[in-house]
Amino acid sequence: MQGTLSRAAWAVSLSAVFSLTGLSPARAQRDLTDIPEPDPVAERAAMTVADGYEVTLFAADPMIAKPLQINFDPQGRLWVSSSKVYPQIQPGEIANDTVTILEDRDGDGVADHHTVFADGLLMPTAVLPGDGGAYVANSTEMLHLADTDGDGKADTRRVILAGFGAEDTHHILHTFRWGPDARLFFNQSIYIHSHVETPSGVKRLNGGGIWRFLPRTLALDVFARGWVNPWGHVFDPHGRSLVTDGAGGEGIYYGFPGAAYQTAVGTPRILHGMNPGSPKYCGLEMIDGPHLPDDAQGTLITHDFRANRVSHFRLSESGSGFASEKLGELIHSSRVTFRPIDVKMGPDGAIYVADWYNPIIQHGEVDFRDPRRDREHGRIWRITAKDRPLTDRVDYTSLSNEELLGHLSSASGYDRDMARRGLWSRDPSDVRVARDRWAASLAGVGSDPEVDRLRLEALWLAQAIDRGSQDDIDLPLLKQLLASSDARCRAAAARVSVDWADRLEDPVAMLAPGVDDTSMLVRLETVRALAAIGGLQAAELVLHAVDHERDDALDYAIWLAARELESVWQPAVLAGSFDDGGRPERVLFAIQASQSGATIPWVVQLLNNRSQLTPAVIAEAENAIALYGTPEQSRLVFDVAVDRATPFERAEALLGSLLTATATRGTVPAGDLSGLAHLLHTDGGPLSVRAVEAVGVWGLTTLVEPVQVLAADADRPDWLQEAAIKALGRLPADASASSLAALADDATLTPGLRAAAIEALVASQPEAAARAAAALLATSPAEPVQDRLYRSFLSRRGGGDRLADALASSPALPRDVLIRGLAIASGTGVEQPRLTPLLESLAKGESPVTTAAMTAGDVAAFAAFVAEAGNAERGEALYRLEKLQCVKCHRVRREGGRVGPDLTAIGASSPLDYVIDSVLHPAKNVKEGYNTLVVLTADGRVITGIPVSRTEDELVLRTAEDKVVSIRTSDIDEESPGATLMPQGLIDGLSRQELADLVRYLSELGR
Amino acid sequence: MPPLMSTHCLSLVRPVRKVLLAMPLLAAAATGIATGPMRLNAAETAAPAAQGSWHLTDGDRVVFLGEGFIEREGQQGILETALVASHPDMALEFRNLGWNGDTVWAESRGVFDSPAEGYRRLMSLMQELRPSVTFVAYGRNESYAGEAGLARFREQLTQLCSDLTRPAADEPTPPPNRLVLVTPPPFLPAPTCPDADTRNVMLAEYAAVIREVASANKAGLVDLFTAFPKADGPSTRFSVDGLHLTPAGYWAAARIFLKSCDHTLPAASDREIEAIRTLVAAKNELFFHRWRPANETYLFLFRRHEQGNNAVEIPQFDPLVEDAEAKVRAAVAAIR
Repeated sequence: MQGTLSRAAWAVSLSAVFSLTGLSPARAQRDLTDIPEPDPVAERAAMTVADGYEVTLFAADPMIAKPLQINFDPQGRLWVSSSKVYPQIQPGEIANDTVTILEDRDGDGVADHHTVFADGLLMPTAVLPGDGGAYVANSTEMLHLADTDGDGKADTRRVILAGFGAEDTHHILHTFRWGPDARLFFNQSIYIHSHVETPSGVKRLNGGGIWRFLPRTLALDVFARGWVNPWGHVFDPHGRSLVTDGAGGEGIYYGFPGAAYQTAVGTPRILHGMNPGSPKYCGLEMIDGPHLPDDAQGTLITHDFRANRVSHFRLSESGSGFASEKLGELIHSSRVTFRPIDVKMGPDGAIYVADWYNPIIQHGEVDFRDPRRDREHGRIWRITAKDRPLTDRVDYTSLSNEELLGHLSSASGYDRDMARRGLWSRDPSDVRVARDRWAASLAGVGSDPEVDRLRLEALWLAQAIDRGSQDDIDLPLLKQLLASSDARCRAAAARVSVDWADRLEDPVAMLAPGVDDTSMLVRLETVRALAAIGGLQAAELVLHAVDHERDDALDYAIWLAARELESVWQPAVLAGSFDDGGRPERVLFAIQASQSGATIPWVVQLLNNRSQLTPAVIAEAENAIALYGTPEQSRLVFDVAVDRATPFERAEALLGSLLTATATRGTVPAGDLSGLAHLLHTDGGPLSVRAVEAVGVWGLTTLVEPVQVLAADADRPDWLQEAAIKALGRLPADASASSLAALADDATLTPGLRAAAIEALVASQPEAAARAAAALLATSPAEPVQDRLYRSFLSRRGGGDRLADALASSPALPRDVLIRGLAIASGTGVEQPRLTPLLESLAKGESPVTTAAMTAGDVAAFAAFVAEAGNAERGEALYRLEKLQCVKCHRVRREGGRVGPDLTAIGASSPLDYVIDSVLHPAKNVKEGYNTLVVLTADGRVITGIPVSRTEDELVLRTAEDKVVSIRTSDIDEESPGATLMPQGLIDGLSRQELADLVRYLSELGR
Repeated sequence: MPPLMSTHCLSLVRPVRKVLLAMPLLAAAATGIATGPMRLNAAETAAPAAQGSWHLTDGDRVVFLGEGFIEREGQQGILETALVASHPDMALEFRNLGWNGDTVWAESRGVFDSPAEGYRRLMSLMQELRPSVTFVAYGRNESYAGEAGLARFREQLTQLCSDLTRPAADEPTPPPNRLVLVTPPPFLPAPTCPDADTRNVMLAEYAAVIREVASANKAGLVDLFTAFPKADGPSTRFSVDGLHLTPAGYWAAARIFLKSCDHTLPAASDREIEAIRTLVAAKNELFFHRWRPANETYLFLFRRHEQGNNAVEIPQFDPLVEDAEAKVRAAVAAIR
């Protein structure tokens, strides 16, 4: 295959470097050849361990292989689920994956006994002991396996829940955890679509999320959702959830009922993790036990499995949730095979790490049947603190109920978890007697964080042994905790109250003080509890919470509750029976949240008493009408906007909202709109721009003339002229096309304005537009102008073909303009069967795609060259070059676009040749969550972008220009998956040294 | 434009097994000529069939279509074992297309797309499989919608019956697909289903709709809802969760299926029947990997550019399914 001259020259020098150095090829996924010997001693020797810690081997192959999840049982035995079938069962293969129990009977920190508890499983990605056996994830189902005859092997197998998707086998059910409330929490990842039949109905979850399941009643619901791969979940001592994501890139996340993160389907609003720019993390555990150093207590451990590291984070309380700070690494291995994926605190107070041990991860990037996939090995490592005593091992199954209750006050999270689980397994009536006595012993003391934490344990235990009778609820304790001096206990109690709401006399009244609580955390949990309980009074209280300061999570919680309770407050507002405490802001917040026009009549009425309202309320009310009102209602706002007494800024905002309503719902204010004519000239600034836009969007043909004048008026600022040109493009062709065509050919105009005119002309007169574009491109305008011209055609159905026609019969374009066109075309995600070959042939018949001819050997040699001669400082300068467009789409430490993956930690998480490959072959490895969608609209637009959100009514895409575009579902003709948005060949003009510098810079990010 | 996302459920690209559609067998079915001693009497098939009656014919390819009751049947293989063992002189083929949580709108079948697209794929799949008999078992999941959902359910079940029997465009006179509608087993009392009786009041209305639609479409009927027995032991004998059946529950359902087509199990030992059931379940597992393979995202959908080459493995299950089905037949023949 041929390349460009620059690439050809480059390849020659590459092979020279390769033959000279003779370096071993670099480590990577697809091209990995340097696989270390699987000796655990050597693997241990390759680890760098943080000061003060020790790492020893607890178990290894052949005792276990390919561990996926580890969990201890109350006897201190470690349950390990393993799969050799992953990633895909082969025709004729018998699925025979296992769950193994490891024991350290002599307590020397090394497993000395192992039992295969169950086999015959299909990719068991999770195991959690409980209820006399273990819950096991088995691809599409959750099983409960039990050993009833005591021989250590499971002899009963029950399907507990079924209907989970398996569209991607590293996304199937995982991360089983017992909550403090005796619920089993378990997760699924982004590509999974689940449909689970329970006695109370079918529960569905499309996408990544955390399920919450009570085995005793089969009550199942979605706790929180929207992660890509939520492979880690841990509860803090007060039952608050922390989550990691094996692709989300935002570090530690805060989970609460109803939380939705970046990939949640069907919601227009999402939350964010606490450490943007993080690598992928797998597993999560909290250091919570006296064996480990005092300053590590409450910190989190998770795995940067791509970079072969065990990472460490510190949490602090912040607003309604937490702040999280990345600390150093507990372990960093130089071996590509070290793949820490799960972590648990153990019975001796040490940290246990499951090492999947594999040179190859993932099965999207690497072939299912790649022979280098390891199927035989796997390790459990044990991390201890130097010079600190281990904790005593306890067999919780041998303790009395009273002794177990005693362990609930332990300073070790492991102890408390096992004591709870021990108690849940006992006869509930016996436990109840002991619990009541224990709770009574705590009664005499006043509120104090430590005592209230014990009270919270007592409350959770009552919840866990609840059998549904009135007597099972502990109302005095619940009330006491709702009034605790510790906000974390008040918040946890609010969540418990939901389970008991059907047996409480007036749960809503009981929770009422929570919406005025001084703590945002308490307000958040109270609002979520009220939303779950429901009813008009609950809705009134939820909205009462908007009276106070709120951070993003709290604002989201109220927003979500307002949406969930829509059917309650809307009729009450319309009937005048909704008590807003004299604060219309509350209802206006709810209207914004629900994005519904149902209660706009109330807003209209509200504005009748304008003099009683604050300016802020008036502004919000008018805005709500503009956004959600009918054409007749929004006319009222239009009249305000064109009123000469309305301040310019206000008028501009209202016109903006009206235009948003047109874009999202197709609503146009009723009646004759030519009254906005005077706004075209008011400030000559933002308001004029809006007015011009409105003329175009609303098709006000009576105002064509003044807009034409603006468009051609060289005394006006460029941006106003441009807005006018754009508006002309929206107006019916007979009214505007001739003036646009003139502008497109007007050599006295700036290239930018001509490009705007061409863009505006493409829909109505594609041939004329294409001719004008060819002429303008021939003048080598600035790169942004070239990009705009190419994109104008590529974003219309058939536009690329029209441009190709014009270019074929025009003077040849300069070579760099042709190459730029190829790069832009490759970044649209859509094939251009005519334009691309034409540009290629005009560019002397050679594909400018540098990498076409790069073999594995070339990549390896180049990697060696990068390591030897790449200069990261020069690379950073290149990275920032506008020509290369890197910054436009990628973020590094919060700077840059969001079109492509955040690169802040790319160097730490990806091997060098993967980085090279991704720069050279952007289409080859598209990160999860960055797959594009190509949308054809009814009016002939082609929009390519990464889905940001989707509801029934709209699809939101992020385009290659980092613009967030909302498309009405009703406007969509067709949808199809597209290729990457990353333009190929942009790096083509770089020299070998320059490319090496760029790669060196990227490969050092996050290190 | 790249091709639209449309083919992945059409991954069953194997040719229809013409042998099963061969004329002699079809002729036998169409004219109701009995081909073996265990067949129904000719009068029943030749004369207008009694309402809701149905039968199997030598060479039938049978599809089980429905929700979790059907998907779990695939793993258990009990209904299928009962049918295959009670028709020992017939070469029957069974394909289980059950999907947990599914409804007459194919709500579980959309995967990355809408249920409507899942429904369309189901119909394409049916075109490929060309069943001559289809058991249609829906109604429970729909019943949670209560009274308000009844009319919609009736309408869509009718639509489904019509779509399942509509001839393909390229085949004006296809082999008929005889439908047998199945009412859901009732909710059974269990600790996790304390309100079974209340739920059954509503489910009864959905079962009534199924009976009406069966009658209106001259389809067969297996009325599990009405005929399902009370447990003669612990209340959880037939269902642990009140919803899904235990093996004993499936055998109770199987007896209702057999009674409904007027067949009986041959005199065989439990061990022999269990051997057949094991083979049936193994065959169904292979077919599951064939029609609902894991990793669809990479094999057939929007990330197929990465690992779509591995999709070649999936049709390799076909001969394995056929071998497994042959083993079932051999085991049935052995007890004849």
